[in-house]
Amino acid sequence: MSWLATIGRFAGFCFDLARANALRRPPPGRTMEEAYRIGVQSLPVLLLISVFVGTNLSLQGYAAFTPLGGQRLVGMFVALAGVRELAPIIAATMVAAKAGTEMASQIAVMRTREQVDALEVMAINPLWWLVTPRFLAIVLVMPALTVVAIFTTIASSWLVATAQLGLNGTEFLDFVRTSIDAKDLVACELKGMLFGVVICLVSCFCGFTSTKGPEGVGQATNSAVVIASVSCVTLNFLLSQVLYG
Amino acid sequence: METLARIGRFGLFGAAVARRVFTPPWNARDFFRHTWLVSTRCMGPVVAVTFPFGMVIGLQGLQIFDLFGAQRMLPSLISVAVLRELSPMLASVLVAAQGGSSFAAELGAMRIKEELDATEVMAVDSLRWHVVPRVLALMLATPVLNVMGTVAGLLGGFVMAVPIQGEPGGVFLANLWAFTVPFDLAVGVVKTVVFGLLIGLVACFHGYYATGGAAGVGKSVNDTVVHAVLLFFAANYLLTSAMFSP
Repeated sequence: MSWLATIGRFAGFCFDLARANALRRPPPGRTMEEAYRIGVQSLPVLLLISVFVGTNLSLQGYAAFTPLGGQRLVGMFVALAGVRELAPIIAATMVAAKAGTEMASQIAVMRTREQVDALEVMAINPLWWLVTPRFLAIVLVMPALTVVAIFTTIASSWLVATAQLGLNGTEFLDFVRTSIDAKDLVACELKGMLFGVVICLVSCFCGFTSTKGPEGVGQATNSAVVIASVSCVTLNFLLSQVLYG
Repeated sequence: METLARIGRFGLFGAAVARRVFTPPWNARDFFRHTWLVSTRCMGPVVAVTFPFGMVIGLQGLQIFDLFGAQRMLPSLISVAVLRELSPMLASVLVAAQGGSSFAAELGAMRIKEELDATEVMAVDSLRWHVVPRVLALMLATPVLNVMGTVAGLLGGFVMAVPIQGEPGGVFLANLWAFTVPFDLAVGVVKTVVFGLLIGLVACFHGYYATGGAAGVGKSVNDTVVHAVLLFFAANYLLTSAMFSP
C-alpha cells in the first residue's frame, strides 16, 4: 500500500507548491537561468535522437508500405506518426532523461547536504525557491523543444527517403504538408507543455522525498526518470484520444 | 578533448569486461540475482508504456486507413510498428531508465563509499565480481522484457481497434496472424540483445568511474540514461538499415 501513500504525498506536494506560489511572484531572475539550463542542455541530445527517429520512420514506413505498392505514402506516414505522436513524446522523454534527472539529483543532493533545511531556516520557502523557477522554465521551453523535434524528424526522414530509399523528395514533402495542419501543431504544443508540467512535478517530488546519502540521490534520480516517462506516455494516450479520437 | 578521452576509456572498459566474460571464474549467483531484479523491476514500467503506445498506434493508424477504406490493414501496421520498432525501443528506454540507472547508482555508491576499493584490496577483481554479472544480466533481461512489451503493445492495439473503435475482432486477429512473421520477432530480440549490452556497458562505466560524492552519483545516473539512449538510438538506425534496406 506504500504506493498509495506516495500518491497522496504527491498530491500534498502539488498542493503545497500551489500554496507557496499563491499571491506571490516567482523568484526574480532564476527562471531564465533554469530555462537556459533545461533548454540548451537538452537540445543536443534531443537533436540526435530526433534525427534517428526520423530515419527509422522512413525505413519502417517504406518496409511497411512497399508490399502494398504504396511507397509514396511514406511521407504521410512520417507526418502522422512523427509529428502527431512521436515528436512530443520524444521531446518529453529526452527532457525527462536529461533535465528531469538533473532536477531530481540536484534537489536530492541539496537535501543530503541539508541545504533545503538551510533555506527554511532563512525563512525562504524551498518549494517556491527551488521548484517554481524550474516549473515556469520547463513550461516555457517544452513547446520550443517540441517544434525542434518535429522539424528535425521530418528533415532527417526526408533525407533518408531521398538519399537512401530513392523516393521523390517533392512528393514526400507534399504528402507531409497535406497530412498535417495547424491544429496538429497546436495539439503538439499543448502536449509538450503538459508533459513539461508532469516531468517537473514528478522530478522535483522525487528529489524532495529522497533519503539522504549517495544511494538516496541515485534512487531519487532513477525513480524520477521512470515515473516521469511512464506518466508522460500514459498522458499522451489520453490526450491523443481527446484530441484526435 | 575530454570527450575523446572518455570514449577511449569506455573502449578500454568494454574490452576489459569482454575479456572477463569469456574467462572463468564466473559469478553466476549475482548474474541470476541481477537478472531477476532487473526483469521484475522493469516489467511494470515496460508494460505500462507499450500498452498505451499500442493503443495510440491503433488510434492514429485507423485514421490513415480510414482514408482508403482499408481498416482491415490496421493489424499489419500495428504488428510491424510494435514488433520491429516500438517495443524494442520503448523496452530499452525503460530498461535504461530503470535498470541501467539503478546499476549506475549502485556501483556509484559503492565507488563513493570505497567499497570497490575494499573489494580490490581483498584481491577480488571488482570488474569480474560486480560489473560482468550486471552487463550480462541486462543482455538477458532486455530481450525478455521486449517480448513482454510486444505482447502488451499488440494487446493495446487490439483493445483500441476492437472494443473501442468497433472493428470486427476476427478480421483483426486473422490479419494480425497473416502479416506477422517470426522474422519480425527475431528482429526485436536481436536488437534488444545489442541494446541491453550497450545499456549495461554504459551504466557500469558511469557507475564504476563515479567521482565527487553524492552529487557525482546523481551525475553518473543522469549521464547513464542520456548516453545509453543516444547510443542505442544510433545503433537502432544501423540495425534497421542492415535488416530492412532494399
